[in-house]
Amino acid sequence: MAATADTGPAPPQAAPQKAGGLRNDPRVQMGGQLLGLAVVFAWCIFPFLWMVMVSFQGTVALRDANIFGGPFTTGNYTRVFEEGFMWNLGNSIFVALSTTVISILVASLAAYAIARLPIAYKFTILAGTLVATVFPPVSLVPPLFVAFNALGQLNTYQAMIIPYVALTLPLSIFILTTFFATIPKEMEEAAKVDGATPFQTFVRVVVPLAAPGVFAAAILVFVYAVNEYLIAFSLASGDPNVMTVTVAIATLDRVGFEEPIGTITAASTIVSIPLIIFALAAQRWIVSGLTAGGVKG
Amino acid sequence: MSDSTPQGAPGSVTEPGAPAPPEAERPRPQGEGMSERALGRAFLTPAFVVMGLLALFPIVYAAYESLFDFDFFTRTDFVGLANYVDQLTSPRFWSAVFVTIAFTVVSVTLEFIVGMIFALIMNAAFKGRNVTRAVILLPWVVPTVIAGQMWRYLFEQRPGYINEWLGLGAIDWLGSGASMFWAVVIADWWKTAPFVGLLLLAGLQTIPNEVYEAARVDGATWTQRFRNVTLPLLTPSIVVALLFRSVDALRIFDLADIMTNARLETLSVLAQRSIVRAPQPDIANTLAVLTFVMIMGIGLIFIAMMGRDVVGEPEEGS
Repeated sequence: MAATADTGPAPPQAAPQKAGGLRNDPRVQMGGQLLGLAVVFAWCIFPFLWMVMVSFQGTVALRDANIFGGPFTTGNYTRVFEEGFMWNLGNSIFVALSTTVISILVASLAAYAIARLPIAYKFTILAGTLVATVFPPVSLVPPLFVAFNALGQLNTYQAMIIPYVALTLPLSIFILTTFFATIPKEMEEAAKVDGATPFQTFVRVVVPLAAPGVFAAAILVFVYAVNEYLIAFSLASGDPNVMTVTVAIATLDRVGFEEPIGTITAASTIVSIPLIIFALAAQRWIVSGLTAGGVKG
Repeated sequence: MSDSTPQGAPGSVTEPGAPAPPEAERPRPQGEGMSERALGRAFLTPAFVVMGLLALFPIVYAAYESLFDFDFFTRTDFVGLANYVDQLTSPRFWSAVFVTIAFTVVSVTLEFIVGMIFALIMNAAFKGRNVTRAVILLPWVVPTVIAGQMWRYLFEQRPGYINEWLGLGAIDWLGSGASMFWAVVIADWWKTAPFVGLLLLAGLQTIPNEVYEAARVDGATWTQRFRNVTLPLLTPSIVVALLFRSVDALRIFDLADIMTNARLETLSVLAQRSIVRAPQPDIANTLAVLTFVMIMGIGLIFIAMMGRDVVGEPEEGS
């Protein structure tokens, strides 16, 4: 849809100029660009608008495809809160924060070693890390399900946090290595000359300098953990006290509401709004994190 | 696969440009802390332990268990490769392979085209660029589960939002194989094209403006500039974006599970179902291994093809 946007605009002010001049008329170009932008905005935003409108519709309105038709109500939100959804939200945040802290801590150490310290097989390790980023999570589900089942660890926080850490480590290491590599070596050498041990150099000099990169990687891990569904659904969907929002939203219609679409859109809106604000605020770091992960700087 | 941990470094691959290796020579008084080499090993160990224990070991264990028959969750007879023969001769397995690969090819192609448009827009200098970037980011930041529920209800027959808005009559999008496939493709397209756009944007930003100026002075049209300047210079980013997306698309689970209630069976859906929805550990372990081999295999081919663009030259050491 968005693809064809630019060819669409019929010249609004039909003042044909010299042959070939139309395309270069700044007003036509401007109009075309605006129309293209409008299509992009609509394509990206419209599903959200739909979601928010539907979440305020009552049972009757929900049977009609007109999203602007009333009567409107906040009943869906009330039902979502009664269902204990805020607790699910808390679970998600707890799991995501734990994952982020552990993953970033472990990954920072490894990334610094790869980027700076004299270790053997450096290239092999970095290449292996990149290969590990394509690990298919579903392959972990059967063995972990059996193992956690045997150990009585299904439906616990750790059933999610442990695999999340393992699965996010490769990408975190890869991104952080790129960031650490950009820190000027002179800083560390200066610290060394001043008598700092290698460990002190890492903690006092490198970590503060790498903070933006660490933050970028942390955001990506956090977003991954909040988004994760396959493992949460497979290993921790049995206990409502542990269930995360993704599992809750995916299974809300199985709870048996009359019109689950209302409660699902309400719950989705509650989750989306903070995430959207967060994304807007952290836009710059997200982009730089993705850039570091994707392309060698 | 000897990793770095034990003995020093026989013929180590470290930076050739590094200033003389002082750690052994310089007398280190007690209490000055670990040497850099020891610190390097210490820093790498936790990551290796976690990944080894929690990613590598489970898959090896699954491979071991896939050689047995199961009675519910109890291991019974050793059956060798019989479980693999079962899967590799099962139409259901091959159908999942086909759906997964078809989904990957179609969705990555569509996402690449729109992602490129997004990247060009985000890269253009105009007022309101930051707002535009933020808006384009929106679909990416929302959990896939939410995107799945959104598109599921948009496509569903009752009340039939998409059908009614587009005047399509009563198409049962999520009812049959082909339309179900396209519904999931569209949802994934919406959700992920922005991500492709971001990766490509990163590449666009590294192209110096002078190159375009020179092309313009030479009288190149927009299309010519795009084809002869942008595309060649953007190739590394394009390759990276295609790698990341393809490997990710091959692992698709969330959208298929939610939008079609696991009726669109991709490899991940099939493997997950066989342990959680209808537990058959022998099948599940076999599928876990087959999926692992297939996706890692494809990933390795990609990385081998473009490794240098991403990790840099081996001797560079950074």
